Amino acid sequence: MTDQPMRPPRPATPMLRQIQDRPGLKEMALGVPFGLKVIGGILGLGVLAVMALVGYLVVDGRLDGQWYDIRDLGFAVDGLRTWLGDQGVDHRITWIITGALGALGIMSVLGGWLLIGSWVERRVLAKFQIRMGPNRTGPFGLLQPIADAIKLMTKEVVIPRGADRFLYFIPPVLIFIPAMLGWAPIPWAPNMAYLDINVGVLYVIAISSIGVLGVFLAGWSSNNHYSLLGAMRTVAMMISYEIPISLALLSVVLLTQTMSLSEIVAWQGHYHVWMIMLIPFAAFAFLFASTAEINRTPNDIGEAESEIVAGFYTEYSGMKAGLFMGVELGHAILVGALMATFFLGGYTLFGLEEWVPGYLILASKIGAVYFLFVWLRGTLPRFRLDQLMGYAWKFLIPLGILQAFIVAIEASVFARVDAPALITLGAFAVVNIAVTVVLIRFWADRLGYAPSQHATKPVLTDALGGLKAAERIRST
Amino acid sequence: MDSTGIVIGFWALSAITVVSSVLVLLARNLMHALVFLVIAFLGMAGLFITLSADFIAVAQILIYAGSISVLMVFAVMLTPLASRDNGNSLYVLPGLLAGLGIASLVGFVAVDTEWAEHRGAALAQTDFGDTVRTVGQLLLGRYVLAFEIASVLLLFALLGAIVLVQERRRQSAAEGSRESADGAARDGSVL
Amino acid sequence: MTSLERSVDSIGTGSAEPFVLNIGPQHPSTHGVFRLRVVMDGEVIRDLDMIVGYLHRSMEKLAEERTYTQNIPFTDRADYLAAMTGNLGLALAVERMTGVEAPERAEYLRVIFSELQRIASHAMANGTLISDAGAWQTPLLYMFREREKILDLFEMTCGARLTTNYMRIGGVAFEPPTEFWPALQELLDELPDRTDEYAQLLLDNEIFLARTRNVGIISPADAINGSLTGPALRGSGVPWDLRKAEPYCVYDRFDFDIPVGKVGDVYDRFMVRMEEVKQSVRIIKQAVEQIPPGPHKNDIPLALRPEPGEIYSRIESPRGEIGFYLVSDGTPAPYRFHLRSPALINLSLLRELGTGSSLPDAVVTLGSIDIVLGEIDR
Repeated sequence: MTDQPMRPPRPATPMLRQIQDRPGLKEMALGVPFGLKVIGGILGLGVLAVMALVGYLVVDGRLDGQWYDIRDLGFAVDGLRTWLGDQGVDHRITWIITGALGALGIMSVLGGWLLIGSWVERRVLAKFQIRMGPNRTGPFGLLQPIADAIKLMTKEVVIPRGADRFLYFIPPVLIFIPAMLGWAPIPWAPNMAYLDINVGVLYVIAISSIGVLGVFLAGWSSNNHYSLLGAMRTVAMMISYEIPISLALLSVVLLTQTMSLSEIVAWQGHYHVWMIMLIPFAAFAFLFASTAEINRTPNDIGEAESEIVAGFYTEYSGMKAGLFMGVELGHAILVGALMATFFLGGYTLFGLEEWVPGYLILASKIGAVYFLFVWLRGTLPRFRLDQLMGYAWKFLIPLGILQAFIVAIEASVFARVDAPALITLGAFAVVNIAVTVVLIRFWADRLGYAPSQHATKPVLTDALGGLKAAERIRST
Repeated sequence: MDSTGIVIGFWALSAITVVSSVLVLLARNLMHALVFLVIAFLGMAGLFITLSADFIAVAQILIYAGSISVLMVFAVMLTPLASRDNGNSLYVLPGLLAGLGIASLVGFVAVDTEWAEHRGAALAQTDFGDTVRTVGQLLLGRYVLAFEIASVLLLFALLGAIVLVQERRRQSAAEGSRESADGAARDGSVL
Repeated sequence: MTSLERSVDSIGTGSAEPFVLNIGPQHPSTHGVFRLRVVMDGEVIRDLDMIVGYLHRSMEKLAEERTYTQNIPFTDRADYLAAMTGNLGLALAVERMTGVEAPERAEYLRVIFSELQRIASHAMANGTLISDAGAWQTPLLYMFREREKILDLFEMTCGARLTTNYMRIGGVAFEPPTEFWPALQELLDELPDRTDEYAQLLLDNEIFLARTRNVGIISPADAINGSLTGPALRGSGVPWDLRKAEPYCVYDRFDFDIPVGKVGDVYDRFMVRMEEVKQSVRIIKQAVEQIPPGPHKNDIPLALRPEPGEIYSRIESPRGEIGFYLVSDGTPAPYRFHLRSPALINLSLLRELGTGSSLPDAVVTLGSIDIVLGEIDR
């Protein structure tokens, strides 16, 4: 096509070259030194042997209720308590020690998860967005969260002029504490709930309602219009979306006849059913409303970056902003835990919890919900405030009330009819799913939403013209 | 009140509640007063926990610390700037008198009540385990009339709120047309 | 007292407290250093002022000190997302002024490169629009994938990715290298698939439709009265495209359609851009088939001295009609150099669009107008 001399191929950029030169999985597997392979093999065999031993012990029943039963660390704590009692330690001190131990356990798991979670979110999001994600700090960029944390902590905390210094100080704390406290009633195994109170559901709702005040104070005290707008949006949304959450949890409570989280999980484990199969609408309402409560896409209007910069924490800097971001991530994980506990069977997995530690099952469920959140964040645009409020008040709340009503009838039937659970619960599941589909369909029609409003394509024309041509085109 | 932990907790929570309640009165900034009010609510919830009334405690946090405070925040937000301080008011004297009256009433009842109904072994026998169920059964059994009256009252409040808002909307629609005329005039002046 | 302060006062008598919000010059969705002073009443915008000039580089005055050829790099920096069309606009203006002709092959290359630039620019515009609507940059990065390939093509041809400085008076600067043509063919083959992929991702998305439909509606009359051009005009339904109305280069030899919207909302402007990408692919395919061999540039004197006089020459840039008004006094440098910026004139309608809408809608509307501050401020 051209008579120019052939140029050498364009040199790849360093980034492209790095991607090209990266060894594939096969090369990486083959490139491992022989010694490492041997060690790895021995280790693998050892793990297999340990697993076989554990399996034998489980089948044997010798592990049940012993303090070294790793399937349920609650036994270990009980054992410690008994041992301390035998040593003549005062029972109050024993309770303080075990309480601190449990709190330390939850906090360290949570802290570790906050660090790993931010890395996971960035890497997964990068995969969604055909990028690499953080890959420079440490192997696979694993040390990136630590670097971020150090950066945030060493940054200066600027208090804006005109800010209310007293109120400006409170919100990061006020929002962080509930995010931690919310973990208390989550059961990690049959005996592994830190705070197994019988008003667990109410506790969760109450704790989540405190955070609202923190958000509002953050926006108010910053003396910044973006912050104030974000705070107003967030507060309005949180108040609205607490109702669908309560209604969804009310359905769960009605069916299980208990407000204790561990009993709800035990109920699901007993009947080998997940709540999401019985009351899918409640599960959806809980998940959607939770994304609104915790400011995640598609409902992140409280800190809508393209509109109000960072919402209620625009003016915060340094570790104060870091706390807000950490809380946001922590909330996502907490909602994952609550979702898993209420609707996905918690630590149970159709009998597998006899073999695998329940906390690992719960952790993988939390991870699954968290992945769903990251997925949503990588995919969906944001709702507008009025659309979101309308969605809560016109759709989730009326249907939630109806759903709770139906579940109440079902619960009373379940308590009175003496039929096998498979039949009754199966019938409930079928009824609920059918009712949900019909209701959504009917309600969508009522609200004037037609699913047929598909995307239209522009008109292709060959003609030119001005206003008259435009009117002609619009009239066709 | 037999365990030292409970005693320490009671006094600490009482101190928090009383001090923050006093600070509510003393704070000049209305938002600060609100924060102290929330702390007082939380202290109250703690006091309920020391009484093993976990349901009431959680309800206290949920309703007072969580919802009522936000309602107040909105009320403060929607009032004009001038009234946002917790300043002097014409009603200091009547307020003090009313407060004194309520305080003396509560004190009188507290002194007059025979508190030692359950004590020692009798106290241990009383089951505080499942307050939710008990509260629910009492609400829908013995106190069902009060419960129903309260719910009807709330329903009317809800309807009243809706009616009020609708009234406002009709008005503002009428204002809106005038406003748009103003807007046109304003645009003219700008241009 | 500015008009804005007056409008604050006139609203302030009601029960709500209006306040002034400064959006920009540092803000995630102003697409540069653009500033909006917005009078807000809650979430509703009551009035807004647009403040431009933060990127002013005195380009038009500087151009009066340089020869016509030396001015071509300025047009790179004006609309930095569509440097090729900026280059082409100035080159065509000077050619019309001086009577210099470009060889036929150069005209075809100009068409190919300006259409590639159109695709790249529309990808950027639509991607940032969706980011403004709140999708956390995923569609933007998907669209960058194709933009990246186009910029690679630019780089292998003229060595620069953004500020190409490719079009010259009397031709183009370089002949594309041999490996350009297969790479271009590959891109053309996969582009329709990619646009379908975006359509699938976005147009079945209820949230995206809810955010863009019936938002920021410009009626055809408003669009014409506001001198809108480009996708903003065509989104309102006015079929007007300089490539057809005043065919420059060799656009009259290609078969393509003008996409126009029906409603004039953000969604229509978005869809018009999506469709224009497909039409651009059509044009490039025809151009690649028809391109004749020959020189890519005519020899012209370094210091052109046009006859004293003036000229206004316009072409269709991705953002609309980019026009060059040149006045010559017979010297090698222009006596007056003016750039008609499509983005600035399209932007002028934002006050009417934004007033009365909510903040998120205004942000999306601003995104749909697709401004480039380099060109607005010059």
